[in-house]
Amino acid sequence: MSTEVISSGMIGESAVTPGMKARFLGSRALIYGALLLWAFICLFPLYWTVTTSFKQAVNVTQGHLIPWVDFQPDWKGWRSLGLSPDTIGTTSTVRDEFVKRFTNSVITSVCASLLAIVIGSLAAYGLTRFKYRFAWMRNDDISFFFLSQLILPPVVLALPFLVLYKELNLLDSRIGLILLYALMVLPIVIWIMRDQFKSIPIELEEAALVDGLSVWGAFFQIVLPIALPGMVAAFVLSLVLCWNEYFFAALLTSTDAKTLPVMVASQTGSQGINWWSMAALSTAAIAPLVIIGVVLERYIIQGMTAGAVK
Amino acid sequence: MALEVVTDDIPAARRNAGKLIIGLGSLLLVAAFAMQILYKSGATPLGYDTWRVVLYAYVVWGAALGIGQVLMRGEAGWRALFILPAVLFTVAMVIFPTLFGFYIAMTDWNLSSFSGRKFNGLDNFWQMLADPYYRNALVNMIYYVLAVLVEYVVAFGLALLLNAQIRARKFFRVVFLLPLMLSPVAVSWMIGKSLMEYRFGPAAKLARWLGWDTPAFFATPEIARLSIMFLDAWTFIPFMMIMLLAGLQALPKDVMEAAHVDGATPWQAFWGVTFPLMLPVSITAVILRIIFKLKLADIVINVTSGGPGGATDTVTSFIFREYRDRSNVGYGTMLAMVYLILIIIFITLLLKFVSRWTRDVN
Amino acid sequence: MRKEVYDRLMQLQSSRRNVLKGAAAVGALAAGSSGFIGALTRPASAQDDLRAQILQIPGVGKGQPTDADFQKVGELCLAATKANVKEGEFAGVELTFMGLNNQNLHNVLFRGFLKPWEAYTGAKINWIDLAQADYNARLQQSIATSTVDFDILQMGAPFEGDVCGKGLTSEMPDWVKAQIDMQDVVSYLQPPVGTWDGKQYRITVDGDAHNFNYRTDVFSDAALAEAWKADTGDKAGLAEWGVPKTWQQVQATTKFLKGKQVGGQDVYGYLDAPKAWGGFGFYFLGSRASAYAKHPDDKAWLFDPDTMKPRINNPAWVRAIQDVIDALPSEPPDQINADPNQTAFQQFLAGTGSMVVWWGDVGSNVKTNDSSVVGDITGFSILPGSDDVYNSKTGQWDKLASGPNYAPNCAYIGWGVYVMARVDSDEKKKKAAWSAAAHLGGKDLSLWCAAYPSGFQPYRNSHFNIPEWVAAGYDEAFISSYLKSEADSYNHPNAAIEPRIPGIFQYYSVAEDELAKTFAGQGTAQEGADRIAAAWEKITDQIGRENQIKLYKASLGM
Repeated sequence: MSTEVISSGMIGESAVTPGMKARFLGSRALIYGALLLWAFICLFPLYWTVTTSFKQAVNVTQGHLIPWVDFQPDWKGWRSLGLSPDTIGTTSTVRDEFVKRFTNSVITSVCASLLAIVIGSLAAYGLTRFKYRFAWMRNDDISFFFLSQLILPPVVLALPFLVLYKELNLLDSRIGLILLYALMVLPIVIWIMRDQFKSIPIELEEAALVDGLSVWGAFFQIVLPIALPGMVAAFVLSLVLCWNEYFFAALLTSTDAKTLPVMVASQTGSQGINWWSMAALSTAAIAPLVIIGVVLERYIIQGMTAGAVK
Repeated sequence: MALEVVTDDIPAARRNAGKLIIGLGSLLLVAAFAMQILYKSGATPLGYDTWRVVLYAYVVWGAALGIGQVLMRGEAGWRALFILPAVLFTVAMVIFPTLFGFYIAMTDWNLSSFSGRKFNGLDNFWQMLADPYYRNALVNMIYYVLAVLVEYVVAFGLALLLNAQIRARKFFRVVFLLPLMLSPVAVSWMIGKSLMEYRFGPAAKLARWLGWDTPAFFATPEIARLSIMFLDAWTFIPFMMIMLLAGLQALPKDVMEAAHVDGATPWQAFWGVTFPLMLPVSITAVILRIIFKLKLADIVINVTSGGPGGATDTVTSFIFREYRDRSNVGYGTMLAMVYLILIIIFITLLLKFVSRWTRDVN
Repeated sequence: MRKEVYDRLMQLQSSRRNVLKGAAAVGALAAGSSGFIGALTRPASAQDDLRAQILQIPGVGKGQPTDADFQKVGELCLAATKANVKEGEFAGVELTFMGLNNQNLHNVLFRGFLKPWEAYTGAKINWIDLAQADYNARLQQSIATSTVDFDILQMGAPFEGDVCGKGLTSEMPDWVKAQIDMQDVVSYLQPPVGTWDGKQYRITVDGDAHNFNYRTDVFSDAALAEAWKADTGDKAGLAEWGVPKTWQQVQATTKFLKGKQVGGQDVYGYLDAPKAWGGFGFYFLGSRASAYAKHPDDKAWLFDPDTMKPRINNPAWVRAIQDVIDALPSEPPDQINADPNQTAFQQFLAGTGSMVVWWGDVGSNVKTNDSSVVGDITGFSILPGSDDVYNSKTGQWDKLASGPNYAPNCAYIGWGVYVMARVDSDEKKKKAAWSAAAHLGGKDLSLWCAAYPSGFQPYRNSHFNIPEWVAAGYDEAFISSYLKSEADSYNHPNAAIEPRIPGIFQYYSVAEDELAKTFAGQGTAQEGADRIAAAWEKITDQIGRENQIKLYKASLGM
């Protein structure tokens, strides 16, 4: 399949014989077939989730698929969240919870991602441009030190963090979560941004330095604008990871700072599953990221492109 | 690939000022620390209830260190400022938890025990060596990591598709990216437990239609493991795919055309030109993916609880059970620490291995 | 409904379906009797009006209740609070409540119930919602690191050893005992449950026992009865097709039902839950084992009370494990990956399988849960018995003179609401916390919880007043059968009671891991049981054997 793809772009330009034309059409069909198949694989679960949030029990247990044909959509799932048209104006303790958690999720994941981008980009720039020596550690070792933070299974740190945060009075605070999430995504940010900066010709900065700019001046005025798409890419990836983080959110928060994934997970208790409300909550939880994905997708690829092949 | 080393001539007075600032900062940090230790141990009435003050002192110390670096080392100091925040931040966040974690790993600490934690040296380690569950989970991890290669092939294929001359490219790119956005918890429930449900799940219906009479996705060891791999792959293939796609788009066009002009078949062009050029980005993608894969847990915990008979258990999901369901904190932490060390060794070797390899190619 | 009335009816029925058809007759018999349930009829009063009124919210068969309903019920049940607390008395008090957020139950209900309470008293409640899987870990970690950050706690009796035993809870004031009418609670939930060293800590909001839920249509199916008659296999003494009374019969009918159909649908027999479920799955093996292992002359059945030597690898438990292994091939193809949540709510309520063991939730859900398609064809009884029972003292299987041995498994003993000791220093806060807890444990409120999907079962004598349920819209025969299965389990002389020892879920969790391997065909039942026993010994040593022995004996009332 892959070989066809590369050829396809070029064949169109050369002289066309009937045999080639048939081959061309065949490869086109293959490409679009594959594209559509995978698009279906990606979209169907989302479709399933969204439609399930409008289903009644019997529609779920009989596996009905198509609204208005197989089943009559119902606001049931959304009503259980207090987000259906008929409950949106009334007092709903569930909705209050949802909104509170949603807000917390937004604040913690955005702030943590921003923090990680700022200090991660600086570090990545330093690591690609300068030679550091810290005790026995050189650039590669320092990079690996950062990367190793990504490796750590979170469960190792559960109890230590609980103790640490208690002593620092950071339990159940957004700041505490933000710091932790920033730590969690920092390695990814550094990894991506390092590739970014590597792809920017060093001559640019050398010229700037000759013109009298300081290293920081060159960084802010010359390098940063070029690296911006990469930062957006890193930001989105960080956001996704922070938004979906569950383990520490469940452990370190209680009332003020609790986030959405804990609410999704706790739909799964001892009384069977109300698929419709689970689905409604899942939909509400993934919607913001999907929107971000749609809006910023351009930057993600573009951002990663800059540093991809060196 | 580095800017040349500069050595400024720093006046002695400025250097001393730098030393003074760092010294003062360090003094403040030590003082805050000492005050809290004395207060907590009850030796003095002076101090705060929480250790937050030490955190503030640490921030001040970090700032002093930065300023001092600039004063003392001039240009080199400015350069150090790039990396200092990240290093200080990471060290501050992990130093205590890691050290404390290593200590916990060497204790007999069951949260339900009335006697609290007891230091027991390497007992947990010896117990671990004889633990069939841990061994089983490690073996499973090998299968899971090997699955990354398949994911890589699929991701590469998708990236090539998206890079071809196609209509509605933006649509497909967005759609292909979407699974990455979903939380593992939602994936396990809405897909693992609903879509792949034996009775009403559309996936089971499809499988029946295709001729599989008893489409139980999680009932036999091999199929259950494959299903888990599939669920996990579904969410993470886009991650590799975008990295590879970015790599493809950055490929120099002239090289590709040269290959075409030389009369290479597409197959030859791919293996002779595209693939070698893509090797570095491929390796980055695969290694990052392996790291994520080694932490696989959420989906397993939610969908199969490691079953049937441990066939889908991962190290992290087993540690979760030991730690969370059984409150066996000392032993659980030892398992995790050993796993951490194993991963670090594995990744280091992998990096060593591939770095030699990529250099050859370039 | 008295047992003899019930039994006579059973004998009269050639077909179980007639039980439902003959509802009126049963009701008349039951209402006229002076048995356990009938004794509770009282003269009509304002109180009864209120109870009738809340049971109409939203009404049985009108779909699952929502947040608005919870608030309404909470509002209507405020009278007891108003008697003890002045309006606005707790203004400025903030309380933190930790509980579960299961599936829109528990905390979600409590929030709605307490909203009017907050409005009246002026207090504010912050909520810590936990998934059931995280609950134990979060609690244990809070205790171990002294980060108890909640004032009110929803907790199951099995954790009392961990919490009350460490002095973290506040002793119940007398005015609370009066407000919630402690005497009304069924006897098996009376002290020592809820107490520690003689002090009362718990406001019970739930009663738990496993009962046996079966499909009335399957066990009264004429075609199956014919086939059963023609069947030459082992029938374990079930001469006529009908509801199994012993586990031996459950096994036989399960094997018989494989491949059979009722109404064009595949029908299966018993539904096992072999998949690990954070320790809770072990209760389901326990329910299969209790009739084999719980000898009427012996209070203990999990451990030897003098040494804490596990009994899990004795012939009784091994037989139960072997039963699961033998039954699994006759159950649905994906059964090995089914946890109890799935057996009861995804399978049984949705019409798959004809026998399942669960807490009372199945009964309170078949009629009111939106997922249920078996509302009119479900019957209830106490757990099946066994023809013989293992005697740990002699190492022999005994046949009792009284017939099969029955031993209902009072698993988990239900949820309670506890107030933490950290409020004790502040009188106003303490009163507020206890008032909130008492509101949730209120007599009328609890009736509503028992009648609708709430995660809570009947636990008061006053919950067994059948006319109230009938007035709420329940079918009389149905509700009689359900309540009888609950009451008979609670009050059974040979009930197997959960030990309230610290770390009990560690034992269960490690057992689940080994059982999962055994059920998947890795090793024999005996080997698996031996491995569980070894792991249990290790946990006992780790937690402290002497202490465990003492607490185990205390929890059994020895």
